[in-house]
Amino acid sequence: MAKILVIAEHRNNELREITLQMLNKASELCRANGHELYAAILGNNIEGLISGLKEWADKVIVYNDPRLKDFNPDNYRDVLTALINEQKPIVTFLGHTPWSMDLAPGLSVKTGFPLATDCVDITMDSGRPKVVRQVYSGKIFSRMAFRDASGYLITVRAGAFPAAKAFDYQAEIIQGAMPDLVTQGRREFMGYRDTCKGEVDITQAELLVSIGRGIGEQDNIPQVQELAGIMGGTLSCSRPVVDKKWLPKYHQVGTSGKSVKPKVYLALGISGAFQHVAGISGAGTVIAVNKDKKAPIFRVAHYGAVADLLNVAAALKEKVSVK
Amino acid sequence: MNIIVCVKNVPFTQEVDLVLDASKQDVKKDNLVYVINEWDNYAIEEAIRIKEETGGHVTAVTLGKEADEEVLRRCLAMGADEAIRVERGDLNPDASMIAAILSAVVKTIPHDIILTGVQSDDLNNGITGSLIAERLGLVHAAVVNSLKISEGKAQISIELEGGQDEMSQVTLPALFAIQTGINEPRYVSIMGIRKASKKEIKVIDASGLGLPGEDLQPSLIMEEMFMPPETEGAEMLQGDAGSLADQIIRIIREKGVSL
Amino acid sequence: MPIARIHFWGIDSKYLFYILVGISVAVFLLGVYSRVSVWLAAVNREKVIVSREGILNLLMDGLFGRRIFKGDLIAGLMHFFIMWGFIGLFLGTVLSTTDYWIIHFLSGDVYLIYSFCLEILGLMFIAGLLTALIRRYIARVSRLDNQAQDLWILVLLFFCVLTGFMVEGVRLAVNMPEGESVSFGGVIFSSLPSSKEQAEAVYPIIWWVHSLASLFLVAWFPFSKLFHVLAGPVNIYMASQPEAVVSRDEESPEGPGFLFRDMINFSACTRCGRCNEVCPSASAMEPFSPREFIAQANEYTRLRYNPLSRIKWFREKLIKSVSALPEISPEQIWYCTTCRACLEVCPIYIGAFEPIRRVRTSEIEEGSRVPNLLTKSLETLYMFDNPWERSKKKRGEWFGDLAVPDLTAGAKADLCYFVGCTTSFDTRAQGLARSFVKIMTHAGVSFGTLGQKETCCGDIARRVGEEGLFEEQVKKTMGLLKTYGIADLVASSPHCFNLFRNEYPLYQSPGATPLRVRHYTQVLEELMERGLIKPVKRMDLRVTYHDPCYLGRYNNIYQAPRRLIRSIPGVSLVEMAHYGPDSLCCGGGGGRLWQELEDEKKLSEVRIREAADTGADIVITTCPYCLIMLEDAVKTADLEGRLRVMDLNELIAESLGLGEEGEESTIG
Ligand SMILES: Cc1cc2nc3c(=O)[nH]c(=O)nc-3n(C[C@H](O)[C@H](O)[C@H](O)COP(=O)(O)OP(=O)(O)OC[C@H]3O[C@@H](n4cnc5c(N)ncnc54)[C@H](O)[C@@H]3O)c2cc1C
Ligand code: SF4
Ligand code: SF4
Repeated sequence: MAKILVIAEHRNNELREITLQMLNKASELCRANGHELYAAILGNNIEGLISGLKEWADKVIVYNDPRLKDFNPDNYRDVLTALINEQKPIVTFLGHTPWSMDLAPGLSVKTGFPLATDCVDITMDSGRPKVVRQVYSGKIFSRMAFRDASGYLITVRAGAFPAAKAFDYQAEIIQGAMPDLVTQGRREFMGYRDTCKGEVDITQAELLVSIGRGIGEQDNIPQVQELAGIMGGTLSCSRPVVDKKWLPKYHQVGTSGKSVKPKVYLALGISGAFQHVAGISGAGTVIAVNKDKKAPIFRVAHYGAVADLLNVAAALKEKVSVK
Repeated sequence: MNIIVCVKNVPFTQEVDLVLDASKQDVKKDNLVYVINEWDNYAIEEAIRIKEETGGHVTAVTLGKEADEEVLRRCLAMGADEAIRVERGDLNPDASMIAAILSAVVKTIPHDIILTGVQSDDLNNGITGSLIAERLGLVHAAVVNSLKISEGKAQISIELEGGQDEMSQVTLPALFAIQTGINEPRYVSIMGIRKASKKEIKVIDASGLGLPGEDLQPSLIMEEMFMPPETEGAEMLQGDAGSLADQIIRIIREKGVSL
Repeated sequence: MPIARIHFWGIDSKYLFYILVGISVAVFLLGVYSRVSVWLAAVNREKVIVSREGILNLLMDGLFGRRIFKGDLIAGLMHFFIMWGFIGLFLGTVLSTTDYWIIHFLSGDVYLIYSFCLEILGLMFIAGLLTALIRRYIARVSRLDNQAQDLWILVLLFFCVLTGFMVEGVRLAVNMPEGESVSFGGVIFSSLPSSKEQAEAVYPIIWWVHSLASLFLVAWFPFSKLFHVLAGPVNIYMASQPEAVVSRDEESPEGPGFLFRDMINFSACTRCGRCNEVCPSASAMEPFSPREFIAQANEYTRLRYNPLSRIKWFREKLIKSVSALPEISPEQIWYCTTCRACLEVCPIYIGAFEPIRRVRTSEIEEGSRVPNLLTKSLETLYMFDNPWERSKKKRGEWFGDLAVPDLTAGAKADLCYFVGCTTSFDTRAQGLARSFVKIMTHAGVSFGTLGQKETCCGDIARRVGEEGLFEEQVKKTMGLLKTYGIADLVASSPHCFNLFRNEYPLYQSPGATPLRVRHYTQVLEELMERGLIKPVKRMDLRVTYHDPCYLGRYNNIYQAPRRLIRSIPGVSLVEMAHYGPDSLCCGGGGGRLWQELEDEKKLSEVRIREAADTGADIVITTCPYCLIMLEDAVKTADLEGRLRVMDLNELIAESLGLGEEGEESTIG
C-alpha cells in the first residue's frame, strides 16, 4: 500500500498545531486513495509526545536519540533521508515553518524528490499530488503539478487545514534505527530567546486595534494608540511596523510575532499577508479597514471597509469618546 | 572574508492590482515596475556591513535577463565589489532550477559566506537559499535575523514562530537566508547607480555551465494561475468615515466587547 | 612747540618696533592666505560677475550695516560705532604713517582737525565696545553665545583704545601744545601723572603696551572672528551672484562638495545668532541650529583644507585633528526646512540652507544615514514619479466629475496647469486644484493639464540633495513640456513654481526659449484685473494669510495674494506676528514632509497658534504643503472649530459662488 508520511513538529515538549493540521489533510487523502498514513517524530525524551500522535496515524515512527535533542538540519536531514529511502512514501508532508525551510530542501536534494512549498491545498490525481500555492504575497493563486518522480515533498501552510481528527486511528509505534550522521557539529544549537517579552501582552486582549504599514508614518501611531486606549483595547501591529522600530516587538501579530485570540480584531492598514493572518486565526471577529479594495485581508476578515484608516480612526475616536 | 549574495529583480506588486495574462501562467508584467526583492535588499546590506566591519570582497549574483542588471548596479552602488549575471536565456526556471544554476556558478567563486533572501516577493517559495547550500554541501540556516561573524564562526539567530528566536553557532563557510529587519538598508542614490553602471558586470550563460539535463527541468509544472475566489471574504461596510465608525462600534459591541 | 604730529616721542628702539610690525603683518598675511586658500579649495569655483545689486548691497550693508539695524537698533548703533571707530582709527594710523614717511602734512589746523576727529572716533569706538560688553555680559542678549574670543576681542580692542588715549594724555602732560585741547580725550588723561618727570618715565611703558596690544590684534585678526571684516563684504557681494549649477557627476569627490560661496560663508560668520532666532527649527528647540552648522562647517573646512597641509609635518598633525574632529554632524542637517528665513536676517547674507544641501548630497550618496521615511519617499519618486503613492494611475483622480482638458490627450490650450504631486495625491490638497479649475473655467480661460503623464518636478529630490534624481526629473519634465509644446505654465505649488522659474533655466540649453512660469496667485490677480473674475458673494470673515516660504522669500510674491483676499467683499485681513519676509515656515519644506526625525517638533503648531492669536476665522495659504501641514496642526493643537485652513483658491471659488457642494454652509 502506498504511504503518506507526515513529519511531526514539536517544540518545548509540545506538538505544534501544524502537525495535527497536516495529519488532518493527510488522513483525508489516505482515506480517499487507499493509502497508509505514517507519522514520524524526531527528538530526545519525547515519549510524552508519542501518545499525542497515536490516534492520528496508522504508524508512528519514533527516533528518540540524544543527538536529535535540538533541531539541527544536518542530523534531521540524514535521519529523514534514511527513513524516506526505507519507507518510500509517495508523499511526505512537512510544515511550512522556519524549521522545514531549513530541512525540506536538504531532503529534496538527498532523495531527488521534487518539493513544493507553502501549499494551501493538496489533491491526488492518479497517484500524483497536485497543489495550490499562493504567489505575489497571496494576491494570486497557482495550481502546480509535479514532474514525474517516485516520491514528492510538500510543505504545508500553517492554518490551511483544521487541526481536527478526521478519522480514528490506533497507531503502531515503531522505533526507527538511527543512521550514521555524517555532517555533525557544523551548526550548534545555543538556546532560545524570547523576543516578544514586554510590557504589553497582546495575547490576552479582548479587543486588538492593529496597525500595519498602511499607518504610513510613525507620527500617526500615537493617534491609534490613544484610540485603542479609549476603546479599552490593546494596540498590536504587523511586522513592518516592528521592522521600522515604530513599536516594540511584543506588539507584533503573526507567525514571527504572537498568535492572538481577541474577540474582535480591528486591522487598520494591514494587507493580510499570510504570515500575519496566521496569527489571527484564533480571533472571533476580524474587521479590516484598508484603502485597497482588493487587499487580501478582506478575504479573511468578517467585515471590511474600504477607507483611509486615519479617517476611520479619527471618527472612531470621536464617537467612542462621546459615548 | 569572501561574501556572495544572490539577488533577484522582482516586479513591485504591493499596492498594485494584478491581472493575469492570456496564458494564465503568470500575471501581466508590462506595466509593473521592477525592484530588488525586499529580502535581498537586507541580504546585500548585511553583506556590505560585514565587509565594512571585517574587510572582504562582496560579489552579487543574479539569474536573469539583461534588464535585470539593474539590480546588480544597485548592489554595486551599495558597495559590492563585483557583479555577475547569469543569463537565463529561454529558461523559465523554478526554485530548484534557480538553485541548480546558482550553485554551479557560486561553486567557482571563493566564498566564506553566501547570503540570500528568505524568499522572493513574486513566487514566495522560500527554499532557494537552502537548496543552494544543500547542493554545495554547505551548512545553512533559513530566516536569519541576526548575524555576527568572528573567527571563522557565525553567531546567528533564527526567527521561529511565536516571537521565539533560535540562537546558534555555525562554522563557516555557510549560507544564510536573511530575514527583513536584520538591518536598515541604506539609500542608493541615482548618482551612485550611474557611477556603478560604469563598472563591468560579468555575464555567464546558464546553458554553458555544464549542468546535467535534469537540473534544467522544472520540478514543478505550473498548470494555471487564478484569482482568489471572490465568494469568500468579508461583508463590506459602506458609507463615509463617520458611518463606518458607527457600524464598527456596533459590531464590536455585538461581539461582546464593552467600549 | 609746533602744532604738529609728534612721532616716536621719547621712544628710542624704533627699529625693534618696526621688526615687530613686520612680524605681526606677516602673521596677518599668512592668516589671510590660509583662509583664502580654504575658499579656493571649493569645488566648481563659479565665475564672479559684476553685479549692480552686489555693489549696492555692499554699500548699504557693508558701509552702513543696514541689516544690522533691522530689528535691533542698539545692535546696529553698536556695530556702526565699533566699525567706524575701528576704520577711523585705522585710517588715522595710516595717515600718521604717511605723515612720517612720505609727506609731512599733519601740522597746524590740519593737525588739529585730524586730532579732533580721532578723539571723536575713539570715543565712538569706546561707546560701541562698552555697549557690546554690556549686551553680552550684563544684558545677556539671548541670541549671543559668549565664547572666549568674544570677550577677548572686545577687551583687547577696548584696551588698545584706552591705552591710545593714555599715550596721548601722558604726552600732553609733558607738553601741551597750543590748541591741543581739541584732544579732549587725551586732555583727561594728561592730569593723571603727578609730575612731568613721572610722565616722562611712564610714557615709553604705556606706548609699548599700546603698540604690542595693537600688533597682537593685527596678527590675531585673520584667525579670529574679526576676519568677518574682510570676508563679510565679500560675502555680501557674492550673495547676489546668480545661482550656480552644482553638477556633481560620477567623478565628484566624496564628502560635501562645498562651493566657493559656501566657504566664504563659513569664514564670514560672526555667530551673531540672528539666524537661530528666526530659524523655525532652532527656535522650536529641535536639535539643530544654523549658526552651529555654519560654525562646525567653518571648523571642519579650515582644518581639512588648511594650506599648511602641503607641509608633511603639518599634514600629519592635521590629519590627526581632522579625524578627531566631529564631522559636520550628519543628523542635524535634515531639520532645515530650507525656509530661507536665516538668509533674510543674516547681516552678511549667509543662508545656511545652501551649504546644508551640499552636506545632504554627500549623506545621500553615502546612504546609510538617510532618514527612513525619506528613503522610502525617494524610492517611490524614482519608481512612480511622485513621492506619495506607489502608483502612477492615481494622478488624475482629483478630477472627479470636473471636466479638465488633457493636453496629452489632444486638448489644445495656451496655458498649461501644472498640478504637482502633492496637489494631485493628497486628498486635502486636491481641493486646491478643484477650486482653481472651477475658477479658470468660470473665467473662460483656455487651459489644460498634463493628465496622468504629469511628472514630478523634483522639488523633494532637490531639497534633500538627491541631485542625481533631481536631474533625472528635470530631464523627464523638460522632455514632457517639449513634447506637448508647452510655453506658458501655471503651478499650484510655490515649490514647482520656484523650480521652474529659478532652477530649471540653469539646466536649459542656452538659447532655448524660456518657459513662462507663473504661480496661480499671479494668474488669479491678472484675471481679477482684467475683470474676468469678480468676487461678489459677501463673506463676513476675518482671515489671516500665511506666506509660503517659496512664494514669499524665494520669489517676493507678497502682495498678489493679499490683494486677492482684500477684493472679496466683507473679508478683512489681519496679519500674524510674523508675516511677509518675516513669515514663519509651516515646517513642510526642505523635504521635511517626507521625513521622521528624532526629537522633531511640530513646527506647524507654532505657526497655527500664531494664526489663532490673530482671532481670525480662517487662515489662508497658497501652497499645498502649507495647506496640509496647517490643516494637520489645527487638529493636533486642538483648534478645530475655532480656526479653519483654506487655500486661496477655495476662498475665491467660494466668493464666486463656485464652492464645493455642502461646503458653503461651513464658511462664515
Ligand atoms: C518568515 C517570515 C515571517 C514573517 N512574520 C510576520 C509576522 O509575524 N507578522 C507580520 O505581520 N508579518 C510577517 N511577515 C511579513 C509579511 O510577509 C508581510 O510583509 C507583512 O505582514 C505585511 O505587513 P502589512 O500588511 O502591514 O504591510 P503591507 O503589505 O505593505 O500592507 C499595507 C496595507 O495598508 C493599506 N494602506 C496603505 N495606506 C492606507 C491608509 N491610509 N488607509 C488604509 N489602508 C492603507 C495598503 O492598501 C496595504 O494593503 C513575515 C515574513 C516572513 C518571510
Ligand atoms: S549665519 Fe549670519 S545670522 Fe547666523 S550667526 Fe552667522 S552671521 Fe549671524
Ligand atoms: S532655511 Fe530656515 S530652517 Fe533652514 S536653517 Fe535657515 S532658517 Fe533654519
